Formats: sequence, C-alpha cells, structure tokens
Amino acid sequence: MEKKYSELGELREKAPKLFGVPTGTKLDNMFWKIEFEGKPIKKPLGGLPHLSVINLTGIPDSGKSLLAEQFALHQASEGYKVLFVTVESPANFLYTSLRAKSRYLNLDFDEISKNIVVIDASENAELREDPRALMDTMAYAIKEKRTNNVVIDSITGLYEHKEMMARQIVRQFFNFLKKWRQTAILVSQKRSAQGADTAEAAGGLAVAHIVDGSIVMDKKLIESKWEMSTYRLPIGSVLRTIRIDGCRLTGHDTRTWVFDITEGGTIEIISPLEEYIKRGDRNGSD
Amino acid sequence: MEVIRAPVREIDVDALAEQVFQESINILGGLRKIIEYKNLTWLPSLAEAAYAIVMKEEMMKTHKEIAMDLGLTPQTVQNILRADAKEVEKFIKGEIEKVDEHKAGGIAKLAYERVKKEGRITIRERELEVLGVDWAIRVLTRLKGADFPLNKQQLLEKLRGVAIKDKPFEEIAEKMKFPVNSPADVLHQIKQSID
Repeated sequence: MEKKYSELGELREKAPKLFGVPTGTKLDNMFWKIEFEGKPIKKPLGGLPHLSVINLTGIPDSGKSLLAEQFALHQASEGYKVLFVTVESPANFLYTSLRAKSRYLNLDFDEISKNIVVIDASENAELREDPRALMDTMAYAIKEKRTNNVVIDSITGLYEHKEMMARQIVRQFFNFLKKWRQTAILVSQKRSAQGADTAEAAGGLAVAHIVDGSIVMDKKLIESKWEMSTYRLPIGSVLRTIRIDGCRLTGHDTRTWVFDITEGGTIEIISPLEEYIKRGDRNGSD
Repeated sequence: MEVIRAPVREIDVDALAEQVFQESINILGGLRKIIEYKNLTWLPSLAEAAYAIVMKEEMMKTHKEIAMDLGLTPQTVQNILRADAKEVEKFIKGEIEKVDEHKAGGIAKLAYERVKKEGRITIRERELEVLGVDWAIRVLTRLKGADFPLNKQQLLEKLRGVAIKDKPFEEIAEKMKFPVNSPADVLHQIKQSID
C-alpha cells in the first residue's frame, strides 16, 4: 500500500532551492534570505522567491499591470520564458504596451517577444469562464514553450461575476502553478469597500490566504495642506506606495515604500515612506 | 510573441497511449512475431507502460500519481519510467543476452519517442481486433479513474458492453475473483480466463 505521508527528511530532495526571480525593480532586494557565515547574515534574495505564487493587488490605476508587465519583460530579456495570460487587455494592446516599455527600458523587444507567449482570455469567453479550459491551455503553453514564469492579469477576471467561487478558482490555479513549477504573479483587483492598503481583494481574503505572498500597491491623492507639508508634494498630485504584505516562503521588508510610474510606464521604487518623508525629496536611497 | 486565442484541449491520453502501444508492438517485430515467440503475455505490461510514459511526458504526472491512476505500485511505475531504453533496444536486437531494465518500460519509451518524432500509427485498430489483442487497451481505457478495489457489480458497470475475443465481459467476470485490486489485476484475470 502506498505511503500517505512523508517523513520530513524524505522531502529534502524535493524541497525547492531558495533564490530570487528578478523583477528588474527594487522589489528584488525587498525579499531576503538568511545565510550562516559563522553568524546569521541577511542577504537580498534578488527577486520574487523562485516557484512562489504572488498576489499583486491594488485599487484601479495603482500600477499592478505595469509591475506585472515589467516582471515579464525583465524575465524575457534575461532569456527566461514567460506565459502571460491576459484576461483584461486584448493581446494586441498588451503587445503595444510591452513594446513601448521595452523600448523605454532599452531592451531588445525582438528577442523579448520570442520569450513571451500570450493566452488571450480577454476575448474568449470559454477561457475566462471555464478554469479547466484555461488550465489545459496553460498546460499546453507551459509544456510546449517550456515557460518558467506565469503572469495572470487578472485572476479576478476569472471570477468577477461569481466571487463566491474565488477561493475555489484561486486554489485550482495555485495548485496548477505549483504542479507545473512556475514562478507566478496573480494580479487581483480590489472592490471599493476593501481597504486600499490591505491584501484583501475581490473574493475577500481568498487570494491572499491561498497564495504564497501578497504585494499591495496603493495611491494617495494629496488633498490637504497637512498632506502637502508631510509628503512635500503639490496639492492634487499622487503619492504611490508599494508594500510586501506577507510571504510564507522567505523573509521580506515590511515597510511601505514610495514609487513612481515613469513617463515610459515603468515602475521605479524610490525609498521607504519614512525616509521619503524625513528627507522630503524623490531621490531617497534604500 | 505567440498569442493563443482559443482553448487548447488537454491531450487525448487514451489515443496517444494506444499509438505508443501499437508502436511498441511494431518495435517488437509486429504482432505475428510476438505470437510466434509466444510473448503475448507482454501485452498487458506494454499497455500499462504505454500509459505510464504518456502520463509522465504529456501530463507531467508524478510516478505516485501514475501509480494511483493505473493501479500499479509506485515502484513498478518508477521502474517503467527509469528503464534505459537504449539497453532494452540492444536486448531486443539480440546485441545483449540479458537486460536488468523494465523491458516494457524501455520499449514504450522507444515507441513514445518514435510516435512523437514521426507522428505515425502503424497498426490499425481493426488489425489489432483481427489478432485479438485490442482488449487490453479497451479495458484500461474504461478503467481510467476507477477507485480500486472494485467489486463484481462495480467492474461490470465499468466494462458493460465490452467483448473480449467475442465473449461478453459479463461471461468472463463469472470466472474472476473479486474484489479486483487494480487494472493490472483485471488484465491478469481476463488473460487467464480467455487463454
């Protein structure tokens, strides 16, 4: 009879190695690992934890898709294959966006485009409505194209009119991504009643509970003199923040960081909010 | 940038396993040679190995998952998947006298490589029927996903309408011992009752 359990020691060979999968942003240094060189030393992981499934959530226009696209571009530019499942933006618009960003980042888009395969679920109801059909299609792409990374933008789009199914659907995709050994970003949208700075998203806390970690992106409109003076930003401007809300695979920075969206539509993380306020400039260091 | 705009259906494991099974027979020199050398008992093992290889290669299933699906022991599946195809090929060609590898596993691996490379089916279903060895695949296809052990009634439901060498399965089932513990057990008992 087959053994239904494993002794801890038996898992040694199966345990994934802990290293970073770079996003090309300062986020890469916000995850860390502890190495022992006589004493424990904290070292930057250099990216999202390998084989992690990360929930990237935020209110509209907080930069989620931009960061997800930047991750895809950076990985593709490094020669790693990426499967991009677009549920919101049709593939031709995604193409334009990726091409523009790669030019801004001075990356070779011809090479990059060879390393990105797109599943366009935005214009195909079966792919959006039937998780099995989408997972079969993803399995085909992962196997045939030998991808290492997956972006789903957005996972919310797969249950937007049936949020009571969120937990079940997210669990299926989480297990699927683990089985196929992919490092993944699941973009999830927030509903108006949900706290902008929390990991809660459409479907409640289902996504955050199931996945390995959450990154919360937020924006704040400067509306008062107090905010003007605290953030040293003009009235009507926007302060953008990013925070790793949790990660069960590795240690991470828990601070709220300030970031900008550049003219080229890329994410540039500036400094922790506390330093940003203390220094009052947009060039704070990390 | 390649764009996939419509669902790609999961691979038809049954169809591919049948192709691999048929190609395995071809590698062994064809059905006639198998009959001449009285090696028909290899066929159930070949059918299982064909499924195991296809499940591993096409569905990325672990050996434990395959073992559960096919009702084999994880060790048997591991032996199939780890079989050294080249060594088995040498054995079939008579270049070596003995081989320690799982023979059916090695043959199924060779067959899988050929099927993937050339995408051809060399033995038609009706040819298999003529020679009376199509039943193993048919039985395994019906048993896919079954929760073993099965009692007589459960097995009859699964194999309703299946005829093996012109005998209705219901008749064959009368000679079988129940419960059956795995697909391999079913194949073995059927083989015994029709020989």
